[in-house]
Amino acid sequence: MSEPERADVGGGSDNAFWAGFALPGVAWLCLFFLLPFYVILCIALGTVDPIFQTPAPEWNPLRWNTSAFEFVLESLFTSGAAFQTVFVRTFVYVTIATALSLVIAYPVAYYVARYGGRWKGVLLVGLIAPFFISYLMRMLAWINLLQDDGWVNDVLIWAGILNAPRNWLDGRASSVILGLVYGYVPFMILPLYAFLDRIDRSLLEAARDLGASPFQAFRRVTLPLSMPAILAGIVIIALPMFGDYYTPDLLSGSPQTSMIGNQINLYIRGGQQIPVGAALVVVLMLFLTVLMGYYLVSTARAQRRLGR
Amino acid sequence: MTRLRGRWSNPWGKPRFLVLFTALYLVWSIVPILVAIRFSFNEGRSRSTAQGWSLRWYSGDPDLSVLHDPGLSTALLQSLRLAAIAVLVTVPLGVALAIGLTRWRGRGAGTSRAVSLATLVTPEIVMGTALLLVFIHVLTFIKLGTVAQAIGHITFSLVFVLVIVRGRLLAIGPEYEEAARDLGASALQAVRLALLPMLVPAIVASGIVVFAISMDDFVITQFLSSGTNTDTVPVRIYSQGRTAPTPALNALAALTLGITIAIAALAFVLWRAVRAARGQTGSALHEFATLDADTIR
Amino acid sequence: MATFHPRESRYPRREFLQRGAAGAFAFSSMGTLLAACGGGDNGEFRPPELQLARPDNPVTHPLFDDNPMIASGLDPEGGTLRIYNWNGYLWPRIKKDFAKEYGVKVEETFFSTVDEAIAKISSGAVDFDVFFPTVDRVSRLVVGKTLQPLNRDYLSSLGNVWPSLQDPWYDKGSQYTVPYVTWTTGIGYRTDKVSTTPESLANPYEIYWDQANKGRLFLLDDSRDAIGHMLLKNGISDINTENPDEIELAKGELKSLIGAVNVKLSTDDYTNLPEGKAWVHQMWSGSAVSAQYYLPEGVGADALGFWFPPDGGGTIGSDLMAVPKSAKNPVLAHHFLNYLLDEKHGYDNFVNYVGYQPPFTKLDPDRLVADGVVPANLKTAVVRQSDFDTGYVQTELTPSGQTLWQNAWAEFKAGV
Repeated sequence: MSEPERADVGGGSDNAFWAGFALPGVAWLCLFFLLPFYVILCIALGTVDPIFQTPAPEWNPLRWNTSAFEFVLESLFTSGAAFQTVFVRTFVYVTIATALSLVIAYPVAYYVARYGGRWKGVLLVGLIAPFFISYLMRMLAWINLLQDDGWVNDVLIWAGILNAPRNWLDGRASSVILGLVYGYVPFMILPLYAFLDRIDRSLLEAARDLGASPFQAFRRVTLPLSMPAILAGIVIIALPMFGDYYTPDLLSGSPQTSMIGNQINLYIRGGQQIPVGAALVVVLMLFLTVLMGYYLVSTARAQRRLGR
Repeated sequence: MTRLRGRWSNPWGKPRFLVLFTALYLVWSIVPILVAIRFSFNEGRSRSTAQGWSLRWYSGDPDLSVLHDPGLSTALLQSLRLAAIAVLVTVPLGVALAIGLTRWRGRGAGTSRAVSLATLVTPEIVMGTALLLVFIHVLTFIKLGTVAQAIGHITFSLVFVLVIVRGRLLAIGPEYEEAARDLGASALQAVRLALLPMLVPAIVASGIVVFAISMDDFVITQFLSSGTNTDTVPVRIYSQGRTAPTPALNALAALTLGITIAIAALAFVLWRAVRAARGQTGSALHEFATLDADTIR
Repeated sequence: MATFHPRESRYPRREFLQRGAAGAFAFSSMGTLLAACGGGDNGEFRPPELQLARPDNPVTHPLFDDNPMIASGLDPEGGTLRIYNWNGYLWPRIKKDFAKEYGVKVEETFFSTVDEAIAKISSGAVDFDVFFPTVDRVSRLVVGKTLQPLNRDYLSSLGNVWPSLQDPWYDKGSQYTVPYVTWTTGIGYRTDKVSTTPESLANPYEIYWDQANKGRLFLLDDSRDAIGHMLLKNGISDINTENPDEIELAKGELKSLIGAVNVKLSTDDYTNLPEGKAWVHQMWSGSAVSAQYYLPEGVGADALGFWFPPDGGGTIGSDLMAVPKSAKNPVLAHHFLNYLLDEKHGYDNFVNYVGYQPPFTKLDPDRLVADGVVPANLKTAVVRQSDFDTGYVQTELTPSGQTLWQNAWAEFKAGV
């Protein structure tokens, strides 16, 4: 585990010096990250050019036009309405995909960290490899296998599980969820691995000395210790997953599996109602900020429980 | 004690389940890529039936191969161009940011840290939309295309440099700089002469990560593209992948993968040589796996 | 000669945007002229008006003093001709030949939606010499001074085009646009896979609900086309309707397809159908023609079928060519337009690559079948001049109409 920052490092008379180091990066992020958020807000609360229907951002808060937000919120909180359906569906997909990813990532990370031994280097390469392979390339390869005449059907038929080729790409939620898992699980494995690799073995040995079975040692020492890493892993994959639109696009052409990212894409690139798209983006970010806040609170609580 | 150690190394009996599970995962993760690469060498047009071996889709076919299809080769060049710009700008910017944010104290520091980490959890569609609208309506002097895409890549990958370098900074601790200061160096000299050399592995690792992320990026590149001449490989794969693609698409993806790995390997080898020259030791791969809970806070 | 439209505002567009922002959504009742009221702090000026062209309401677009056409008799520029077009809509050989003939470079950039293209052009974020707009965007492009008026002296080949399209109702006198290709939206199907063909049904559009094609039914991922067919299925011939009830009805029909046959959306009709992914596909006529080249081995062109209302009462459209105002090489652009209007080049472009036909007088279905360009069983995919008079053209909607359509479409795509 990394050491806590020491009080005598930094700060003091050198504080301005260190701030100076951070300045270019912070300035860049303000210009190209924070400012764009304000622009999105002003477009969501702005109006539309009557000729081209291009959005006209409204910079003055006093003249903000809330019609786009009203439209979005109404559809979000009316049962059965478009945005609520899509949002709930996205939430369900992300939850299931994240849970599945955790179930897959944790054992793999655990194995490589604890039992890697001589093979650890090779295994790590295998774990890191997906980072170097474009997400789309992996998805494309995966889709290729899912075609009617692809390997998945071939293997399943050969194994007797299927009698005839099944169309995996015709708009199933399961295909989309598994696609999400396939795409995002590598991003969860590395943080978990990094953490599990650094767990202090003596803690586990102490538990065993005190009479715990292996399983109990895992459940009462390793697992609680890993909570911060698990939470971090969940945050790293779940939040970006909310904005995914290309996975449903590639794996299913059906409206039944569309996610909130698809709706945002439709409105932002659909020409007419860009303020609605911008409002959707703002609502999504607010939701994710709440989740992020929950994460920060949970981590703080987990740390406190561990006595740090 | 020895008996305990003996049991320790095998607390579950042999971890057969874990071995199997991990093996299955690696197969599931990597085999589709290998299959796709296999078909890039197909002699026929199919992407799912084995039809011989040839370099047709790489350079042979006069119209459709990667070498001859301008759409595909420009995509590859654009990917490399953006990745190079991203690395050259993001790494220095990110290293400075990491050093500053780790040592800086005060209210501004906490907020800056939060803002810097926020890009990690922002969906790309949000950032893509934000930047697209900014470049069209506010910073209109920046036209869509390579410059806009590069800005997007830099903004998006800055946090990875930050986290990797910060992880190493927290592990290094301040002793070396303090020693340098004791010996009379100014603060800046201490950073330059004592701290930076120790950060080299993290800097190299973050450079490789930025390169890989930039080559892989899809959403931001697509949103900020000014047309097909600024499409990168992932954008090409997406737009052509759903129609009747030829194995040339597989070839393009395989080439991209090959180049990324080659560059990473080259950087790795160079770095190992430098380290050996300096007599340093340690595992290289662990630099990549420094993304953990503490550095994210 | 520049004429002044009697009601045109004298303020440049940028000022208008700053002043008129607040009341932008207030419109007068539906009619042929659309007045955008600026409700800002002083309502004394009148912004330019969008004219909604219809076959029974032809529109002559205004010419503006500050947007003159180029002079006649100039030499074409050198350099690079930049084209902004749909993907796969222009034969690469045409670009090469033109480049060789004029000693220039030709570069093509693709857009995926016309609104994205218009947003980028009108904002000045990109600049092109040749642009391919659609009929339903002409008015706003003209009013927004995004297109420059064309100088007919450079366009001698315009005479090859159907007379009705040389002087079309959406741009009388072809002042800003010339036709590129025409197309219809019909229903494509695999004759060797379907159990019922559209022709055999009383209401051919009912084929979409045929359970035998479950999982193999595709509609075009285009709000105008998909909703359009739902309207036509219910006998509503105004496919530019802004009646909320009719749009609601169409939306309901679309939604019912999800449950009934697991409908999917795509614009890759020219590969989905021949590959067998789709057995019934809402299809553009040009795709029907080019689909024959994507058939797998052993499957002949007779496996493809295309249905369009025999009386010509279906969706028909036209894509256009124009020169943006910001073009750096306007003379060269005019020459390119003329090049494509030439009989030989337009025909080559059509038969060798695009599959969508230019509206040339000399092209008729029988000649194309005789030439072997179009298989006999796909003769219905050839657009006839009479179709353009009897068919329903997708034209411009008012902004509130567009909002209705887009919201209905978004709701359908949300899979509610």
